[in-house]
Amino acid sequence: MSAEGARAELRSDGLPAVTPSDAQLLERTARGDKSAFGEFVERHRGAVFRFARWCTADAADAEDVLQQTFVSAWRAAGDVRAEHGARPWLLSIARRAAAKARQRHDERRSRESSIEELGEAAGFGDERFTPERIAQATEQRTCIEAALTRLAADEREILVLRDVEGLDGAATAELLGISLAAQKSRLHRARLRWAAELRTCLDQEAQHAR
Amino acid sequence: MRGEREVAGLRCGQVLEQLSEYLEGELAPEVRGRIEAHVRACDHCARFGGVFSAAVGALRVVLRGSGEQADAHARLDDLLGRLER
Ligand SMILES: [Zn+2]
Repeated sequence: MSAEGARAELRSDGLPAVTPSDAQLLERTARGDKSAFGEFVERHRGAVFRFARWCTADAADAEDVLQQTFVSAWRAAGDVRAEHGARPWLLSIARRAAAKARQRHDERRSRESSIEELGEAAGFGDERFTPERIAQATEQRTCIEAALTRLAADEREILVLRDVEGLDGAATAELLGISLAAQKSRLHRARLRWAAELRTCLDQEAQHAR
Repeated sequence: MRGEREVAGLRCGQVLEQLSEYLEGELAPEVRGRIEAHVRACDHCARFGGVFSAAVGALRVVLRGSGEQADAHARLDDLLGRLER
């Protein structure tokens, strides 16, 4: 990811052009350099919007979160330490804004189930739920996305952080303020729950097609 | 669980419980080895392991393409253009 510190690249005239790190861009932003901030926004806007969209599960809320995140980033640019990239910091701002947005809506709570129950719901022992069915679903996208919207907020959040934004377990645990063990368990349960919703959606589609 | 059995010293439920850590490469080699021995001998776990890993892959592929929404980004540009230090 380009967010990880400065990288040297060759320019057309053969001289090295250095891609500034997040920390460098934020330092220039803090001094009022709008073009540095523009480059910073360009680098992270896709990830912030994706995260906001799936955390809020609402397009208008997602846009509010996107705007609030970068306005906060502009204001706090001088106070942040981003030696390892600013992405986790931005996502934690977005996460707080998304939590506020969600308070306005009815929120689904995650239910407690055993791993065995989750596994059966996710298709353990079901011979009709196959990688080929999933490949078809990937082309259509509908069930993949619909299944995510049926999860509780904390489940959607961890799936996006780990599986979409690619944060590692330690960074995710820190961002969520939970232990590494709790993070592992939440991720696994969220994946199983999502797979169960995917399976339900695909079954319903198959019934309509008949 | 349907068809639950014990193979290579592990029950299917124990394999199921560690599937994400297995996929992420987070397990110690001996635990990993026991899971692989179970899955080689258990068609339920072999099948579900394949489905689960395909599902996680599908989630990644589909959602990574979901950060684009031109109008939201255009309105962000308008807003940021008006910011003053
Ligand atoms: Zn098994």
